[in-house]
Amino acid sequence: MSYLDLSIKDIHEAILNHEVTPIELVKEALERAHNDKHNSFECILDDEALEAVNNLASKDKNNIFYGIPIVIKDNYSTKDIETTASSNILKGYIPVFDAEVVTRLKEAGAIIIGKTTMDELAMGGTGTTGHLGKQTNPWDAERMVGGSSSGCASSIASGVTPFALGSDTGDSVRKPASYVGSIGFKPTWGRISRFGLFPFAPSLDTVAYFTRNVYDAAISLNVLAGRDNKDMASSSKEVEDYTSKLFDTIKGKKICVISGILDSFSNEKVKNLFLTQLDKLKEAGAEIIYEDIDKNLLLSILPTYYIISSCEATSNTASLDGIKFGNRIEGDAYEDVVINTRTQGFSERIKRRFVIGSYSLLKENREELFIRAKKSRRMIVDAFNEALKKCDAIYLPASSSVAPYFKDIDNVDKLSDEYLIADNFMAYANFAGLPSITLPLGFIDGLPIGANLTSKIFDEVNLLSIASNVERIIGLKNLLAKEEE
Amino acid sequence: MKKVTKEVLRDTASRLMFTMKEEEYDTLLSDFDLIIKQMDLIANIKGVDEATPMTFPYEISTNYLRIDEVEAPLDIKDALKNAKDVKDNQIELPKVLNR
Repeated sequence: MSYLDLSIKDIHEAILNHEVTPIELVKEALERAHNDKHNSFECILDDEALEAVNNLASKDKNNIFYGIPIVIKDNYSTKDIETTASSNILKGYIPVFDAEVVTRLKEAGAIIIGKTTMDELAMGGTGTTGHLGKQTNPWDAERMVGGSSSGCASSIASGVTPFALGSDTGDSVRKPASYVGSIGFKPTWGRISRFGLFPFAPSLDTVAYFTRNVYDAAISLNVLAGRDNKDMASSSKEVEDYTSKLFDTIKGKKICVISGILDSFSNEKVKNLFLTQLDKLKEAGAEIIYEDIDKNLLLSILPTYYIISSCEATSNTASLDGIKFGNRIEGDAYEDVVINTRTQGFSERIKRRFVIGSYSLLKENREELFIRAKKSRRMIVDAFNEALKKCDAIYLPASSSVAPYFKDIDNVDKLSDEYLIADNFMAYANFAGLPSITLPLGFIDGLPIGANLTSKIFDEVNLLSIASNVERIIGLKNLLAKEEE
Repeated sequence: MKKVTKEVLRDTASRLMFTMKEEEYDTLLSDFDLIIKQMDLIANIKGVDEATPMTFPYEISTNYLRIDEVEAPLDIKDALKNAKDVKDNQIELPKVLNR
């Protein structure tokens, strides 16, 4: 057994009891990162990590993150460390400041050992579109790990660190968490500052992260939550102790299943596993209720997401021009520099997304595309918030299957209920800013699959309490993929 | 709605300050074919056009006013460190006039 395989809580206790030292943990994490077989890293920070360990004396030993090795998705600004968001256009870009969440982790004593690969600019869900190529799933390298926080997911599943900072705009932490058997947690929009997170679609973007168990997710929020004047969307709402109700009972809690979503799952193994686990929650005293939402609304979640996120992304990336920063490609005139930089810097996929966003914002199309998507967002949010009024949390499988094979990525009917609903419904939590957590549901054919719990805005204490109960009842936590040597 | 043609897409790309290959426009046209079909699903929502567009996830207001405090600004060296060509503490670009 290695201490690095334990939860943050257990590693912390081992440090306090002098069973292991931060330097031992960091050296082992760095070694694991160098041995990574899943293309999880943009860069491994040997020197910076060892220097940070040597400077730990100024940090509070009692902080849960003291001496804990962590990894960070490459769309967070890290001072003096190249940050590319896995896009060629940002090759060579070295931020001059840390993202607020990075500052908070460093102040808490966390040691950043690497920046992780991702889908280019966080726009994708397969972990195949970043400039360094695809990330593979540690449970089965023929399968994808999901995205866009793909390197975070592959590194946490292979045990490099017990915490990985990702970001979630549609389901970019919660879906990969399902494919690797980890916790993927997105708190309420505004709960954690996004200052220094590269914007993709700011009305949806949320700081989110992976841990190995619910306790670690809750205690991490204690460290990260809180108002930051540098992010005007960050909330002044009081930060709570998110571990305070983790050991309360689930008895009497109302857990809601949205029938129309569950019906869209065609994979009987997934459905049966979910229903079996649901029975266990009922036996433990949870009240299971079924609600339905207009199918047209459910079918509209993905198109609504796609239009809104593409429109926001188009305007957010206008600054990537190779002038002030970025990988400038020369030209005869100013315009040529910008055109050459953007033409060569963005992949074809990203360019297509920008054209779709820009087309949707044209005066002639705005009403039918962008504005209609915003109207649809309102109706979807109203419907889910209405369902949440009747329960403590909505519970559903987090993905339509275990991690798909790479060869099957494009082999889907993109107008099917399964694709439009089962595979992409979790964006509703981003539309409404709801806290949402994926945690292990079980195994199918030896591969993990997760379930998702979502509750009302700023209801993290309650959500994490329910999630902690579900974790105990199902009995799966701290899962690591076993590598065959 | 403006008809989706290669010409329209080429014009859109040009305003976004990048170019695309001919075959990339073909892929884009098939993307649009799917998007329009998916957007029809939204049009099927009863009462969608009467709904109020939603921009942020929930009602937020912020009334923070920064205190006017003296602080050290970003160092010139830091401000320019990511620019490719720098001359006299300014970003150097190809000439705009008299070229």
